Amino acid sequence: MDLDTLSRMFVEHYYNTFDTSRETLAVWYQEQSMLTFEGNKTQGAEAISDKLNALGFQQCKHNISTVDCQLSGPSGGVIVFVTGNLQLPDEEHLLKFSQMFHLIPTLEGSFYIFNDMFRLNYA
Amino acid sequence: MALPGQKTPDNCPSFKLVIVGDGGTGKTTFVKRHLTGEFEKKYEPTIGVEVHPLDFFTNCGRIRFYCWDTAGQEKFGGLRDGYYIHGQCAIIMFDVTARLTYKNVPTWHRDLCRVCENIPIVLCGNKVDVKNRQVKAKQVTFHRKKNLQYYEISAKSNYNFEKPYLYLARKLAGDPNLHFVESPALAPPEVQIDIATQAALEAEIAQAQALPLPDDDDDAFDS
Repeated sequence: MDLDTLSRMFVEHYYNTFDTSRETLAVWYQEQSMLTFEGNKTQGAEAISDKLNALGFQQCKHNISTVDCQLSGPSGGVIVFVTGNLQLPDEEHLLKFSQMFHLIPTLEGSFYIFNDMFRLNYA
Repeated sequence: MALPGQKTPDNCPSFKLVIVGDGGTGKTTFVKRHLTGEFEKKYEPTIGVEVHPLDFFTNCGRIRFYCWDTAGQEKFGGLRDGYYIHGQCAIIMFDVTARLTYKNVPTWHRDLCRVCENIPIVLCGNKVDVKNRQVKAKQVTFHRKKNLQYYEISAKSNYNFEKPYLYLARKLAGDPNLHFVESPALAPPEVQIDIATQAALEAEIAQAQALPLPDDDDDAFDS
């Protein structure tokens, strides 16, 4: 599978999980994983999962606009950069966002999220 | 501060009003009650803010609040400085049926005051129409420590809708006797609070004001 297809599939799967069963996202992270979410830093699968599950909304819907990816370094890592918008319940307007994932291959032939940075795009 | 396309009528003093507080506390519901403001609101997508021009008619003439309301960004973390900058008055909202939203009031107050020094601020406890309250009047002490005005409101029933605006108008005008001479058109109430319940709410507030101020810090709310 080429890198673009893989990245696109990952992103679609990740946001689909986020929107339907956020509590299961922890499987994508490991102990060294880092999340910077609107400037707040957390590390480790459990802390990251807690952070994402404590956000002040229940349902949401991510719409992907663009997905860019690059190989990172010699070890088979992939950097994925996403832009899109988010629909929250009870909110009339969409929120634009950007998110960057750094994926690292695992011994089992899958991969996990090593770096994750999320920002809403507004002035 | 108005958005492009929002023109302030001649001889009408206008003020930027920022409204903050946790997601789900009823900020948008509260702002939308004012019907002409709702009709003339504008959305600015780069800032992610909806600005409602709220007009009130006082014995000294018309006054307009440009009320800034977020598109939900506060549900992800704190708000950026661009939302607060040039704020001239503020409302901090919490939900009396959700304890955490009151616990977060000091954070909102700190964020606000970091950008807007010395502006008049009203603390509003919303949803007092709901039977199962978690934050009682006597537990609300933050405003007394910080010299804010406190009102209990129920956005859905219009209970005390005008109070925060009247307080802010008086402070901004420097006239404690300023009063409203007509009511703005409001969306019809979706729930009712009967007179006896209103009297009970007001009695509880009066009692709470008379209690000594606890000297513990703001985090001691749960104890």
